[in-house]
Amino acid sequence: MKVLKRYIRLFGFLIRISLMRQMDYRLNFIFMITGKIIRIGLLFLFFQAIFLNVSRIGQWSYNQVLLLFATFHLVDFIISITFQRNLAFHLPQRIQSGELDTRMILPVNLLFIASFEDIDLIDFFSFLPTVGFLGYVLYHLDFAFTWTQFLFYILLIANALVFLFAVVLIVATISFWTIQSYGLARIFDNLLRIGRYPLDIFEGVLRAMFIYILPLSLVAQIPAQALLNSLSPRFLVFSFTAANFFLILALKFWKLGLKNYSSAST
Amino acid sequence: MVIKLWYVFKLVWIERMAYRVNFLLEILSGIVSSLIIVFLWLAIFRSSSRSIIGGYSIEEMVTYLIGAGLINTFILTTAENPETSQSIREGTLSNLLIKPISPYVIWFARDLGTKVFLFFVGLIGYSVVIFFFSKYLLFPSNSINLVMFLISISLAGLLQFLIFEALSLLAFWVENTYGIRFTMRVIMEVVGGAIIPLSFFPFTIQNIFLMFPFHFFIYLPMKVYLGKIPLDQVFLEFLKEGGWIVAFALINVAIWRKGIRQYVAMGD
Repeated sequence: MKVLKRYIRLFGFLIRISLMRQMDYRLNFIFMITGKIIRIGLLFLFFQAIFLNVSRIGQWSYNQVLLLFATFHLVDFIISITFQRNLAFHLPQRIQSGELDTRMILPVNLLFIASFEDIDLIDFFSFLPTVGFLGYVLYHLDFAFTWTQFLFYILLIANALVFLFAVVLIVATISFWTIQSYGLARIFDNLLRIGRYPLDIFEGVLRAMFIYILPLSLVAQIPAQALLNSLSPRFLVFSFTAANFFLILALKFWKLGLKNYSSAST
Repeated sequence: MVIKLWYVFKLVWIERMAYRVNFLLEILSGIVSSLIIVFLWLAIFRSSSRSIIGGYSIEEMVTYLIGAGLINTFILTTAENPETSQSIREGTLSNLLIKPISPYVIWFARDLGTKVFLFFVGLIGYSVVIFFFSKYLLFPSNSINLVMFLISISLAGLLQFLIFEALSLLAFWVENTYGIRFTMRVIMEVVGGAIIPLSFFPFTIQNIFLMFPFHFFIYLPMKVYLGKIPLDQVFLEFLKEGGWIVAFALINVAIWRKGIRQYVAMGD
């Protein structure tokens, strides 16, 4: 309990430091937030434009696609506020430059500091309108759901975060061997965007892959399906198992990577 | 002058080749994201009973999107280029100023060199995609369309450079131009027609989008390629685009002249 408190306080400090650093360039800060909000707005228009011309994408109606879209961006913002950039971009840089050394000697868990050192407040402020948008989708688009379904929705979003943490960590850890995994992280970034669309868009092997092997379905589709009550119990069990499996794998891999770390200093 | 430019060109290519792995991965990630959009549209056509959606057949749509992806490899990637801003902010501009060639010309040549390079590498990367979707791909119905298309993307490259260079030059006054350029890039991608032809949007929104110069980047070239715009109208569009190019060239000159006067490079 004491340990947990300490880490929560530490997290608070990290947020404060990040805010100070990012507010340094105030104009830039405001532009970045504007840009991110505009992006969500334009993507929303993109879906509207599609549905002006068709009534469904696969089995998904307009309202359902909006729910999927809002859920995806909720998850996407949470990871980019917290661990995504830290692990995917900063960690490889710190491994390459040997800067990781200075983090290793800190009296905190290395994975914690590697994941949360820079909290992205730009994304936090752009995240708030996304939550608003999700609220709008849920209220106005006449989804009938029970509290149990809503609870599973929240749990599955948490599960999505665990899964993404694991995958991003795996990709980042590769840089212990290759020194550079920036390009790989970028590909994964793009791949992740598949989660924004219903997986119905794929057929055959690709579809099976994004459901079972690299289950991007966990990111938004499965939570959304749980809320819409169209998720079978089998998939519910699968989701939690898969995320945990990836987490265990990622932690093992991280430990292995650390063993391989040879500080590159001048 | 030509020889000087040629050397700048060559230098860019050598630099790019030095970081080839990351750079290939970057192109690959662009291909991944344009593939996702292609799959999305294939599914939309599958789940709709119509063979023409929003005035586009499935072949036209796939061709449009793959073409858009290819244009994006050299337009979107170079829009990210922080070189100008960085050299103003960090003071390395001073090194360029003492060279017997204007820094502006160097930046322009570097941008051009990068674009040509990215276009060819993109073409190689996309050949796999082209192979996979070959049954959907259309070729221009006549050689005039192809020539017009090539002119169109060249103008697009020029206009894109001028717009983003103007923003980068703001670094004379603003410490960090990343945010402004990021916002512009975000707008450029959708408003330029990279993920959907603009004709899909409701009329009012379409008109707003057409007020930006971005539709010259992807929407116009692809319409020309697919022959979806009559030739006399193409000339009119080129004329408008030329107007934008002149306007932004003048803006660039004005900003550069004003900026360089108050440029200060701190020494160590």
